[in-house]
Amino acid sequence: MIAVFGLVVGVVAGLVLQPTVPAELQPYLPIAVVAALDAIFGGVRAMLDGIFDDRVFLTSFLSNVIVAGLIVFLGDQLGVGSQLSTAVVVVLGIRIFSNAAAIRRHLFKA
Amino acid sequence: MTARPPGPQDAEPLPGPAAHAEPAPVPAAGRRPDASMTLLTEVDRSPLDPGYALVAHRRATGEKGRRSPARAAVLLVTAAVLGIGVTAAAQTLLQPAASAQQARDVLESSIVERNDAVAALQQDVEELSAQIAALQSRLVGDADGPLRAEVEAGAVQAGQLPVSGPGLVVRLSDAPAAVVDDPEDPARVQDLDLQVVVNGLWAAGAEAIAINDQRIGPTTAIRSAGSAVLVDLVPLTNPYRVEVVGNAPALQTALTQGDVGELLGALRATYGIGVDVSAQDSVSLPGAGQATLRYAEVPDGALPEPLVSPTARATTDPGTLREQSVSPSPPAVAASTPDAPGAGADDEGSGS
Repeated sequence: MIAVFGLVVGVVAGLVLQPTVPAELQPYLPIAVVAALDAIFGGVRAMLDGIFDDRVFLTSFLSNVIVAGLIVFLGDQLGVGSQLSTAVVVVLGIRIFSNAAAIRRHLFKA
Repeated sequence: MTARPPGPQDAEPLPGPAAHAEPAPVPAAGRRPDASMTLLTEVDRSPLDPGYALVAHRRATGEKGRRSPARAAVLLVTAAVLGIGVTAAAQTLLQPAASAQQARDVLESSIVERNDAVAALQQDVEELSAQIAALQSRLVGDADGPLRAEVEAGAVQAGQLPVSGPGLVVRLSDAPAAVVDDPEDPARVQDLDLQVVVNGLWAAGAEAIAINDQRIGPTTAIRSAGSAVLVDLVPLTNPYRVEVVGNAPALQTALTQGDVGELLGALRATYGIGVDVSAQDSVSLPGAGQATLRYAEVPDGALPEPLVSPTARATTDPGTLREQSVSPSPPAVAASTPDAPGAGADDEGSGS
């Protein structure tokens, strides 16, 4: 629960402080946000499954964002940035969908 | 590719114990039907990080103890940093889209506005030139036959009326190797080339010339601006079609001899510019429309007095008109707009 609390504090702080993102990081932002969404959906599902763990949640969150950014960076260097971005979005999108479906089953029993 | 032919082969020894009798639940042996899409299955079936299950298992077996306060603090800080990062990312993604959209909207509306203004002005121009033409034809209609013929001949020479007749079509096109963005590339057709060709054609007795449907009149300039060749300030694009009405054999000879012939030969041989000359039975050239009247004069005092005033009315701006009507009018009336002292006269009234 401490991770969720920290995340909420971070989001509120971000909204209040309005930090700016360095221009070099801007190409990776969309993928990073999708990766973060994936981690959040996974966390919610784990919570409903009763196996939520702060450390696992934060580790998966962090590694998701970093790996997604890294893949896009690598793709940009190789000249296939947009294709790799698509691949990342597809994989993460499928995961988000199935996690969302699991959450839905938990909440509505259907 | 891998479609197996039905029949005997199926009964033949399939590798592994799964081939016979009951469908074996052993996952390790034999090919699963969806073996070719394990990646998708993996993504779809186990979207939850396995770490959660692992930790839950450890906790259940009592391997994991309570966490220390220091560790909790680290978790809290990491979570807060991640939260700030994600929020910042999301806001950055939202913002530029909004400002770019705003700028786009402003540009879009100003483009539409200007386009409307241009269309309105264009319509004004059309209406006014129709008025001028009507007034002129009324004026000429009053006059006797020879004067009308003279005016019409003058209008043809000045490039105002559409013309058709036998003639030539000269096609100049950029070399295939030409660099499109480089206005100085000699492999592109330059304004100078067109000037030389047009002047050569005039010298050879051409009666009317048009380039890409832009009629060349006495005051038409052929210039270049950036990568475009302007004829009468209208930008033209490659290929350039120079259409000429005139004596085709004479014109053709002029294009193969002298300076013009030399230039065309050099263009073709040195730069690879396409030069194609063909005689035509009938070439139709558009008129350039109404020209601005800058100088007018009544020939030899021949016109009766009442006609002097309408001439001025039809062809000058109101300011000059007022001065004109006040001053006692001598037999010859000269009207010139102040913006063009000494400019070449678009002569349609100055017959001699």
